[in-house]
Amino acid sequence: MKNSNTCVYEAVALKKDYDDGQVQALRGVDFRIEQGEFVAIIGSSGCGKTTLLQMLGALDKPSTGSLHYRGSSLPDLADPSVYRAREIGFIFQSFHLLPTFTALENIQIPMLESDLPASERRGRALTLLKSVGLEHRARHFPSKLSGGERQRVAIARSLANGPSVLLADEPTGNLDSENARIILDLLVQLHEEQKMTLVLVTHDMIIARKAARNLQMLDGRIVFDGIPGTAAPSP
Amino acid sequence: MTFFSIVVRGLTRRPVRTGLTLVGISIGIAAVVALVGISRGFEKSWETGLKARGTDIVVSKMGSSLAPKPFSDAVAELIVKLPHVAAISSQFVELLSIESSQMMMLSGRQWDGYAWKNLKLISGRMPLDDKEQAVVLGQTAAEVLKKKIGDPLQIEAAELTVVGIVDGGAVVENGSAILALPLLQEIMSEQGRINVIDVRVTPGTSEDELKQLCVEIVRAAPDVTAMAAGEHLSNSQSFRMVKAMSWGTSLLAVLVGVLGVMNTMLMTVFERKQEISVLLALGWKPSRIVRMVLWESALLGFLGGIAGVLIGVAGIKLLQNTEAIRGLLEPDLGIGLLLTSIVIAVVVGVMSGLYPAWRSSRITPALALQG
Ligand SMILES: Nc1ncnc2c1ncn2[C@@H]1O[C@H](COP(=O)(O)OP(=O)(O)O)[C@@H](O)[C@H]1O
Ligand SMILES: [Mg+2]
Repeated sequence: MKNSNTCVYEAVALKKDYDDGQVQALRGVDFRIEQGEFVAIIGSSGCGKTTLLQMLGALDKPSTGSLHYRGSSLPDLADPSVYRAREIGFIFQSFHLLPTFTALENIQIPMLESDLPASERRGRALTLLKSVGLEHRARHFPSKLSGGERQRVAIARSLANGPSVLLADEPTGNLDSENARIILDLLVQLHEEQKMTLVLVTHDMIIARKAARNLQMLDGRIVFDGIPGTAAPSP
Repeated sequence: MTFFSIVVRGLTRRPVRTGLTLVGISIGIAAVVALVGISRGFEKSWETGLKARGTDIVVSKMGSSLAPKPFSDAVAELIVKLPHVAAISSQFVELLSIESSQMMMLSGRQWDGYAWKNLKLISGRMPLDDKEQAVVLGQTAAEVLKKKIGDPLQIEAAELTVVGIVDGGAVVENGSAILALPLLQEIMSEQGRINVIDVRVTPGTSEDELKQLCVEIVRAAPDVTAMAAGEHLSNSQSFRMVKAMSWGTSLLAVLVGVLGVMNTMLMTVFERKQEISVLLALGWKPSRIVRMVLWESALLGFLGGIAGVLIGVAGIKLLQNTEAIRGLLEPDLGIGLLLTSIVIAVVVGVMSGLYPAWRSSRITPALALQG
């Protein structure tokens, strides 16, 4: 992967069909995302936001079109799990912490795919847990944590292997406004302090306005790409 | 936290289901240990019995039952004349229910045969001659029948007196009631008939000469079979069947365990579909998921194997002390059988995990973002 290139993602005529073409979730999208950008993907439910994020995370392959990550074609990766483990941090709407593992253990799970020796995993997990302000919750299971705390643990987990891109699908969708603000501040801080590329799906316009750039989708297409508030979102 | 602790956590998250699965597999393994241990023990105690009597060749007429069929004692005269034969000892052996014992080995021994010589008196005396209505008991037989010197012992219609208690140097011997051949022939109404001839060869007889002697015995008396002591039981048709049946039965029990493990692992994979897709999204390789499932089912097998061996050994110890079995056999619970059983259990675990593991490899990471 070419590091000199500041272009992180480049999509050209990207399409994704489901059920043998009966559902067209992406109908041809084109965009570039540069290193260190904060992009919010917005749009009404069912317009293809999650599908797009799945493509960016190499969780699924596009039907046609091309998608490159730092010059490498994502659908052609020999082992997408290496890309997911090293380059990407995923944050989900419903947190997806593993229920049988403590907060500290959950953060260590992605590290099993890294070169980090077992002795250092715990220490790194503890540092990450501290960075989200939850070191006192290390031994708690997810069921004992509040929604906001769960998402903070999930953010710590997404950072486990030091990714360069964070992909978040409605990370505040299951949270009250106070916790939503904490999570958003945390993500913005990571973006600003660690120069991380942040791609965030949301339908909350307040959150979208915090991003430097909005991609508005409608029915599988990108209908607006620019600085938030510079164009009225079309109905 | 290591990969292995994740494997263990997979089993402890549903303790009841894991426990029930372990019960299933451990019963199968316990059956292997118990049945195979008993059939091997039977073979071994028979062999040590022969060794204790100092027998090199056993001549008998093995039918389809475990007890040999009677034949004329004239056969003994023919055998004694053959080269390399040092001594013979004719016997009439029978498994009978005697008084409180369900099954006891009765051994009527040729009065001047060598098979009497290896019995060590613990108390009392040997019979005076082959006319005295007397019986000596192996020490286990005496315990089972609750007899002491001077007590009467009812065998079928006859009433004999216990005159001695002996140590025969082997489980089969110690579990037997031993009396003079003519007495038992009379009791069984089999006058002039015997069903086992123990043959002792002259010192220095080679393996080849031993085999040759067996051939000659059969040539002299076409009705019987002659086998070197070591191969006697394993060559017997009926014993081979018992052995095959004990393996068959226990493997059937193991099969039930296989289905249990497979079912449990399939349920585990299905209910963890979403979790597995999250692990994939976090960067786990599909091969790691497959390994996780296989290790879990192998661990189930291993734990079930340990439990099964413990249950099997405990069961056999219990059985061994019941009146019905005591003195008849000494189960062979060698470390070899126990290790084999655990290996079987682990193999069973891995095999049962193959299909669930394959299913787990089909789970897509895209599921992580859906719902
Ligand atoms: N696995 C799938 N199979 C079939 N249809 C799907 C699948 N995933 C998404 N879709 C459809 O694709 C469209 C876009 O879905 P999605 O990307 O989840 O939208 P959003 O995240 O914007 O709400 C929807 O119509 C949805 O029903
Ligand atoms: Mg969505």
